Amino acid sequence: MSEEVRIKDIGKPSKQLIKLRLEDLMKLPPPYDKPGEEPEMTEPKEEWRERYITELDGYIAIDVPFEKPKTKEEEQRLIQRFLEGLKKLLDKENNWTFLQPLLLSLEFCAKCQTCNDACPIYLSSGKKEIYRPTYRSEVLRRIWKRYLTPAGKVFGKFVSGDIELNWYTIARLAELAYRCTLCRRCTQVCPIGVDNGLIAHEIRKLFSQEMGVAPKALHELGTVQHLRVGSSTALTPEGFKDIIEFIEDDIKERTGKNIKIPVDEKGADILLIHNAGEYLSWPENPAAFAIIFEEAGISWTLSSELVGYDAVNYGVWYDDVQLARIAMKHVEVARKLDVNRIVVGECGHAHKALCVVADRVLADEYNIPRESCMPILWDIVRKKKLNLDPEKNNFPVTLHDPCNMVRLMGVVEPQRKILREICPQFREMEPHGVYNYCCGGGSGFAIMQSMNFPEWRNKVATRMKFKQILTAFQDCIDPSIKKYVCAPCSNCKGAIRDMLDHYQATMKCGIYYGGLVELIVNAMVDIEEPFIEMF
Amino acid sequence: MLTPLQISSYLAFAIFVVVVVWKFVKYATMPIHLRWELYPVPHEPEHEHGGSFFEHQNIWQLERKHDKLNELKEMFEEMLFIKRMFQNKRDLWYVSWPFHAGVYLILVWLALLFIRAVLVIAGIHSLVPIADALIMIAGAIGVIAATFGCLGLLIKRVGSWELREYSAGVEIFNLFFVLAVLLTGLFAWIKFDPNFNIAKEYMLSLVSFGSQPMPELPKPILVHLILLELLFIYIPFTKIAHYVGKYYTFHTVLWEDAINKPGSEVERKVKRCLQFRVSWSAPHIAGRTWAEEAANPKLDVIERWKP
Repeated sequence: MSEEVRIKDIGKPSKQLIKLRLEDLMKLPPPYDKPGEEPEMTEPKEEWRERYITELDGYIAIDVPFEKPKTKEEEQRLIQRFLEGLKKLLDKENNWTFLQPLLLSLEFCAKCQTCNDACPIYLSSGKKEIYRPTYRSEVLRRIWKRYLTPAGKVFGKFVSGDIELNWYTIARLAELAYRCTLCRRCTQVCPIGVDNGLIAHEIRKLFSQEMGVAPKALHELGTVQHLRVGSSTALTPEGFKDIIEFIEDDIKERTGKNIKIPVDEKGADILLIHNAGEYLSWPENPAAFAIIFEEAGISWTLSSELVGYDAVNYGVWYDDVQLARIAMKHVEVARKLDVNRIVVGECGHAHKALCVVADRVLADEYNIPRESCMPILWDIVRKKKLNLDPEKNNFPVTLHDPCNMVRLMGVVEPQRKILREICPQFREMEPHGVYNYCCGGGSGFAIMQSMNFPEWRNKVATRMKFKQILTAFQDCIDPSIKKYVCAPCSNCKGAIRDMLDHYQATMKCGIYYGGLVELIVNAMVDIEEPFIEMF
Repeated sequence: MLTPLQISSYLAFAIFVVVVVWKFVKYATMPIHLRWELYPVPHEPEHEHGGSFFEHQNIWQLERKHDKLNELKEMFEEMLFIKRMFQNKRDLWYVSWPFHAGVYLILVWLALLFIRAVLVIAGIHSLVPIADALIMIAGAIGVIAATFGCLGLLIKRVGSWELREYSAGVEIFNLFFVLAVLLTGLFAWIKFDPNFNIAKEYMLSLVSFGSQPMPELPKPILVHLILLELLFIYIPFTKIAHYVGKYYTFHTVLWEDAINKPGSEVERKVKRCLQFRVSWSAPHIAGRTWAEEAANPKLDVIERWKP
């Protein structure tokens, strides 16, 4: 296994291109600065090697079989299929959705490497070459130039650089597309505006839309299940209604409030859509929304219709067709309920998918305003529609900025204005706002739990966020002081939950996590028991 | 009577302009894409903290305000000073910025030569000394800065593993080519044309379409001029023309945040794109138009590629 990986090595027949070692990873602040404070890294199981792609770094994101061709002819068919997909990515009709941004990024990268140090994965890994944000982009660029441009066909590697297209290249590229969280910090610093995150996104699309290859959590159990059953969590409309009843009972028990959560109420101002993961993993979040909206007198409703109770849209990470389908279902539900607008709860990618990216797949009667919950919540707090006592939140709080909501959508201030108002010990992470680091669960990583992928996510993808959290709380790192990471996004919460678990940070440092609305309800004067339970 | 050299100068310039315009048109006529902006977006009034109109409620009723002045400021800081590289890759900026600033000055120098020729032909002789002074300043600083920067870029490109590994042969060749033009220009200026008089006379002969005599060109100047013409022809076909890309990446992708409101121009374009046919081969896609695919999902088949 070579440590100095070159671009052409992507096609090199070898068992594994790199091997990650704990000692190479970015160092963490105290108390994780001593050896033995975090779990060791493991080897992939031998049986995985036969069915899945372990030839990149030994970790498996694509948990569907991607078999090795047995003959040259089979390999040629794979290459042809891949090139067909690449042609479609560059075709107006098949990829009008991202053709212009993709071509710009393929054609004009100056390879100045200005983007490198903006990438949390590259830095966290100890600067492993394959995670350099330009690495996968350059592989795709070379294939495009070598095989699909006249100059590449005539002048060969003089214009395209050295690259060989074989099973190894294709298989490793498929995995490599899932070593980037699409946070687009690299694009933010690029002098030309080249978007390496977008290139990773487009590679994912090629594999999904042309070959039907995508992680199960995103496709089979993600968008397909979402459209079939109603939610990527497999929650059915009946199950959803049961949970709403449970939440109403829970609110009564915890707060003494009799709240009837509006479901399928026609003509409401707002259709509120949560990530359905909230109902199953963090029901206190939709509960807190219900308490706040009811107390503030908002005209709102939830939907129990198929897809209408799950705001997620995993298509935004890997497949434009699936993205469009789910967005259509969301607005269709809103149209039937005759609401004025859709408001997305605390879910970052659902914010971006429905409000920003899918804005341009909707037309005519399906074009309904879609907004973030953050300005509404700030409006409620600002106008003192609730009686809040900040002293009830008098513990250290820091804020994680979900990339999709902040850097990619520009919703930056409302949530921190709320925290400044209701959390006396609020402190920012550095960097924060639009320059934040991804939680490491972005682009689907938070829900991809197959085989050894969680280990990669916890060790590499979330490492920078963990470092930021530890640094923000260094003045009170003692576990006896309870601390709260406010992450107003379901997937970020999932990634942070797993991160805290992996590093045992709740036990060792007293770090807890949760959403924003829970903090608001926790500060409500007329609720006696703490709404946030840190134990 | 025009000489072959003069004709080649016109041709090189014409090819340059035509191909650059073609490139701009190519990107300008691409279909509208999904929104993919990246904050901070400088024309947003709340750009200081990277905020957008999504920080407000009822966005469709919101009166959108654009801080065009800040967008221009951001654009010029990036164009003139390569701000992002200055902030994030300082060691490369020390050579990249002099190179780019030098090239800008050389372009200014060329424009001044043209203006001076027009002034002479139009008989406005009183302004010619001012043009002469500016030509001297722009030309001298431009060629020195660009040559220094180009040499530095070449050394960096070849000397640094992370730059060399990611460069194809043509990218190294491009730098050699530009350096050759700059070095011959530097030599010609210092040795044969310290006041740019030959350059002025040659430009005058071009602007007057040969009615003014073409000066005698010493061989090094001739070599430089031919190389320069070849570079003009070559640039638009290469990544050296990344200024085209830079315009579009910022203005039509990263800073493009127009809302798709009912009845808007955006909606009209979207509707056209939704009629494109999808021919992706994965089993969950049925080969219909985007509008049909979105409205009636095909979900009954989950198959993957098999060898």
